[in-house]
Amino acid sequence: MNKALGCVGVLVLLVLVLAMSGCGSYNRLVKLDQEVNKKWADVQSVYQRRADLIPNLVNTVAGAANFEKSTLTEVTNARASVGQVKLDPSKAPTDAAELEKFQQAQGQLSTALSRLLLVTENYPQLRATEAFQNLQVQLEGTENRISVERNNFNGAVQAYNTVVRSFPTNLLAGMFGFPPRPFFTAQPGADKAPEVKFDFNRAPLTPAPAATP
Amino acid sequence: MAKIFRPATVASLFATGFLDFARNDRRRVAALLVVAGIFASAIVVGAAENIPPKPAGYFTDYAGVVSKEAALRFNEKLAQFERDTSNQVLVAVFRKMESDSSIEDYTRRVAEAWGVGQKDRRNGAVLFVFVENRNMFLQVGYGLEGALPDVTAFDITERHIKPRFRNNDYEGGLAAGIDLICKAIRGEYKGTGRTKAEGENRSSGGGSGLLIFLVCLAIFLFAIRRGRRRRGYGYSGMGGPFIGGWSGGGWSGGSSSGGGGFSGFSGGGGSFGGGGAGSSW
Repeated sequence: MNKALGCVGVLVLLVLVLAMSGCGSYNRLVKLDQEVNKKWADVQSVYQRRADLIPNLVNTVAGAANFEKSTLTEVTNARASVGQVKLDPSKAPTDAAELEKFQQAQGQLSTALSRLLLVTENYPQLRATEAFQNLQVQLEGTENRISVERNNFNGAVQAYNTVVRSFPTNLLAGMFGFPPRPFFTAQPGADKAPEVKFDFNRAPLTPAPAATP
Repeated sequence: MAKIFRPATVASLFATGFLDFARNDRRRVAALLVVAGIFASAIVVGAAENIPPKPAGYFTDYAGVVSKEAALRFNEKLAQFERDTSNQVLVAVFRKMESDSSIEDYTRRVAEAWGVGQKDRRNGAVLFVFVENRNMFLQVGYGLEGALPDVTAFDITERHIKPRFRNNDYEGGLAAGIDLICKAIRGEYKGTGRTKAEGENRSSGGGSGLLIFLVCLAIFLFAIRRGRRRRGYGYSGMGGPFIGGWSGGGWSGGSSSGGGGFSGFSGGGGSFGGGGAGSSW
């Protein structure tokens, strides 16, 4: 009789301990998941900020006397294709291929933009205008922000994935639907945007040496 | 992160956990590679740069391009600005940039490491000047990006500071820069009458606790003030960093304008998201 009671006690204790640790892990998962989604929203908003700048930039540049039109159309097209791979801004993607597609479109826009800015070096009059200088500063700031937010996002995903994938939390994560999240990856060559330097003193260059392979 | 090992869970669940691991193995390896890459690049970047320690004051001139009086004046102005508006604006003049990264990237990390700005408002701004590189960058914290957008930051560095720096008028350039930055962000937040170093924000919790703290603070400050008057030196700011970097010994009472001594800086934990702009001259 006493033995049976003892057994029941141990079992109850076990279940309690399990439930408590389960709750703690679950709450931690929720918190990390929220963090990832928040950082994802930040990433989206800086990319959106860049997309919003582009019509202005295109208009300003197009106003310059006989500006090379092909680079402009390239930027406009890249922006249009970015608009087509819109992901849910409130929820970080769980599918690596989805993120890859998004990243590719944004990378194309980055390349097109850096090419456009290189081409403007041949138009010193355009570059001297305040409108252009201001746009350039905004664009440069946006690129900085993009790289910061992407890094922050990767950091949050890393923290989240570590928990989601480690034992025993991975069981809970599987049960309640917390899939591992993909990272932003550095694209070789294509994603050179943060490296674009707006150096006024540099001699004009031929367009885009590090263009798409 | 240390994992707590729970024997009870292992007994029943180990097998499923292992299967799960095996199934996800390929993706796991890929993710590991990515993480390893991030770490490796962090190490490479880290090896080639030096994040300077948090400065003792609001205005720090490591390059020796402005006079002591001006430096003190700037420092007091910026300390007062934090009392009035809670915005933390720092100016740091270095001789050389000790990093291989770009200036906007490096200075952002430095500003973040110093924790400039209040944590909840993220209202910090730091003007970095690297004299030998003839380069400067104004880093703007998240909370000030609205009041001090990149275009304004660029206008300040490019059209107001740069021309003066070109004429070797560092003092004039910095004075103009500080004025303009403060002017741009003055209306954004309301201050508490104290700087972070003076210990206001630490006690935003309970009512009676706050009162006790303030009484203690008043007594403490009073004691310090009396002590300073008698002996002719002292600190200002509770728990702030050590003061008196320039003259070595300490302060003789009532030496210069303002008469309050040196106001130390203590970061509030603000963060930076890549806002701001810079110029080279």
